[in-house]
Order: sequence, then structure tokens, then C-alpha cells
Amino acid sequence: MKETVTTTMLTKEYGGIECVSHLNMNVKEGRIYGFLGPNGAGKSTTLKMLLGLVRPTDGEITIFGKRLTSKNRLEILRSTGSLIESPSYYGHLTARENLKIYQTILGVPEKNIDEVLKIVRLDRQGKKKTSAYSLGMKQRLGLASALLSFPKLLILDEPTNGLDPAGIQEMRDLICSLPKEYGMTVIVSSHILSEIDQMADDIGIIAAGRMKYQGELSRLHEIDRNKSLEEIFLDLTGKDVSL
Amino acid sequence: MIKLLRCELLKMRHKYIFLTLLAITAAGLVFSLYGDYSGEFIQKNGWCMMLYQLPLANGIFFPIACLVISSRLADTEHKASSYKQLFTLEKRGRIYDAKLMTGLSMTLLSVLIYWSVLLVFGKIIRFYGEPPMELYLRYLACTAAATAVLYILQHGISMLFKNQAVSFFTGAIGTFIGVFSMFLPQLPLLRQLIPWGFYGALQFMGLYGWTSEERYANAYLKIMSVDPAVYVIIAVYIILFYALGKYLFCRKET
Repeated sequence: MKETVTTTMLTKEYGGIECVSHLNMNVKEGRIYGFLGPNGAGKSTTLKMLLGLVRPTDGEITIFGKRLTSKNRLEILRSTGSLIESPSYYGHLTARENLKIYQTILGVPEKNIDEVLKIVRLDRQGKKKTSAYSLGMKQRLGLASALLSFPKLLILDEPTNGLDPAGIQEMRDLICSLPKEYGMTVIVSSHILSEIDQMADDIGIIAAGRMKYQGELSRLHEIDRNKSLEEIFLDLTGKDVSL
Repeated sequence: MIKLLRCELLKMRHKYIFLTLLAITAAGLVFSLYGDYSGEFIQKNGWCMMLYQLPLANGIFFPIACLVISSRLADTEHKASSYKQLFTLEKRGRIYDAKLMTGLSMTLLSVLIYWSVLLVFGKIIRFYGEPPMELYLRYLACTAAATAVLYILQHGISMLFKNQAVSFFTGAIGTFIGVFSMFLPQLPLLRQLIPWGFYGALQFMGLYGWTSEERYANAYLKIMSVDPAVYVIIAVYIILFYALGKYLFCRKET
């Protein structure tokens, strides 16, 4: 199977401290890659490096078979959608007006706006300003912006943060449907093990900036059949970290 | 770039940014033009008298306009946490430029509106003779240049700092020093080096012979020489503020 994203010895230092250390990540095409790790493990920094929002101190990133450089970054990211940390939205505008801004920059057809609004079920919000949206609705709007160009690669950083159980379920179903319906490769990060367990095909576990496990999720269960997934995760990341 | 400028217009919807700018311009006009125009000296020398008096008002209201507009435009992005999304879609430098072009064009338009109203006002008040257009065009160019320097500086600060208090206090303190510098003729360097003082440094109309006892009895207006170094400093500041602001913005990690 072709690899959509690979990182080689990816490292990021802040003030001499390695936040991400020699990370080798392999994300296969058409799969959901769960990027799991405790708070402060380096998940967001890694994803930001993939998007060129943070400059790596060392290492290489390859996306769609092309080495990511400052010159080809935008060309590669044209086929990538992202939702990093909290969603970006202009609170004084409606959902449609928000998406119109990104649609204008991306140069994609205007009908995509209706389509993505329908996918995230925000198509009936009319003239409601996004500042009046609930957290779940804002998160769905963030996902709609990420989906606007129907990218080949979708990078979602903790997309269920702050959502209620129904919202989490809804977001999870939506993410799971993306590879089948639109052929997308999805990288989704989370610090919640059960969430990744229900979504991901492959998994990468990161702790203190280092990759502790990478491979199919089903194989993680096989590491020690006598232990629960949570116990295996804690063994890998260290018991002193918070989940 | 056109699509980015279109996006800037989309983002400004419901924000009344241009209306705010017009309100500041109107306040500046009221402050500048309110007064007694009945004296013979003023009627005869009205056109040139305005050129003498206006830089002080300009040094207050145009810096405020630069501060408010640049801050409002940049704050739209900060509040939306939109840089992390926009930086994946477009070059950072172009995002910086598009916003600068939008804000600067609006602010310079307000300078033009202000200038046009002055001419109309002079006609209504019936100042003697025709307006000296050459001097008025020079005044327009000087005011626009000083405003451009300030806008570029404020734009950089507003874009770099999420907390708009930084931009506000820089602008407020700078405006205060700029206005203060116009009352210190013995310190020309102050207004020649501080961007907020350029309105005073570029003033080319001087009033001579006025005394508190005799008032305008022996007064006359004369064109003063402006130190050519001021033009060079303005050009250097425009390039420096633009290049530095853009460089730091492009280096910014989100």
C-alpha cells in the first residue's frame, strides 16, 4: 500500500529541549491513522510541522511522495485539509460567509460550500452568526473548512475536544466515513485511547516526543493478550503520564 | 492577490470598519475647521492659513485612524485564530500584503476625503481668491506620506501581537509625543525622527510676525524650507517598517 505521509527523523527543539524527537511516521493511503499520545507528547507540534506551520529543527517530511520544502509546501497542501486545535472561524460571519473566504482562496467551485455544509449538517443555519454557535457546531464548521476542497489528506488535531458524547459519536461516524466515501487519508490525533480505538485502522503512539509504537491497531492488542489496551498504552507511554 | 483582496472585503462585512474610518475623518474635520473666520487677515489668507493650521489636527486624527483601522483588521484574524488555516492555503507574505493594501488604501482614501472637504469648505467660507493648488497638492502628498509610514508601522505591530493593547499603546504614546514635538521648535530632530512627528516635520507653511498684543497686524504667511533629510527618513522608514514587519510575520510560528 502506498504511503501518503512519511517523516524521517523529524525533530523539533524549543529552547534546546526536544519536543519531537527523531520521529518516523508512516501513514498509508486511504486509511485512518490514529495519532495517540498523552497531553504534551508532541502530537500537535508534529501535525503543525506536516502543515508547515512550525519549522522542523531536523528531519524530513514527505507527503504524496514529494519531500516537503518551503517552495512546494503550498502546492502539496492544496490537496490537504486541516483542523488544528480549535477551529478557525470569523465570529461576525455566518458559516456560509466563512466558507466563502476559504473557497475564494482555494479557487474551488462554490457548490462545494453547500456540499460540505450538508456533510457536517450545518446547512440549515441560515443567517446565524458563528459566534452564536455551540462548541460542537464550531468544530463541525472547522471540519467543513478542512473538507472544502475534498482533499486527499485530512489532518485533524483532537477534533472531538470539548464535544458532548453525542457530538463525539457524530464526529467519529463522519471521520470514519471519509476514506470510504471520498477516498481520503485521515490523520486524527487524540489523547483519548477509546476514541482512537473506535476510529483508526493504523496507530502511532507518541510519548515525550518519541514514537513508541506504530502499526495496525489490531496488532497492538496482540502485544500482550493478558492486558487491556489501556494497560498496553500505559506500558508504552509510561505510567506517570496523564491520559 | 485579487482573490486575497476580495477575501479581505468579505471579512470586513458587518464590521463597519470603513464607517469607523469615516467617523474619525469627520471628527478630524470638525476639529480642524471649527473656528472664527471673520477676520480680514483670515479671509484674505484663508487658503494658506489652513495649510499652516492643519498639520496639528492631522498629527492627532490620522495616527488614530491608522491605529484603529490596522488594529480592527488584524484583530479579525487574531479573534478567528485563522492564521493556522490561512497559512496552509496561501503564502504568509501575501496574506500580510493583502491586509496592508486593504487598510492602507482605506486610510489614504480618508486623507483624500479630508483634503477634498477642505477645498469645498474654503469655497463655502469664501476665502479670497482661488486655492493655491500646487501647495494643496504638496500638502496632500506630505499628509499621505506621513500617514503611510504610520499605517505600515501600526499594521506590522497589529499583525504581530495578538493582544491589540500593544498596538493601541504604541499608537497612543506615539501620537502624544508627535503632537508634543510640534510645540518644541528647538528640537527639530524629535519630529524628524519619530514617525508621529512627520506631520510637523513636513509642514511647509509658516506664520511670521504674529504677536499676542498686535495679533495679525504685522503677520504674514510664508513658505518654509523643509529639511530634505525628512523625505529620506520617510522613505527609509517605509521600506524598513514594511520589510521588518513582513519578515517577522513570515517567521511567526502558529
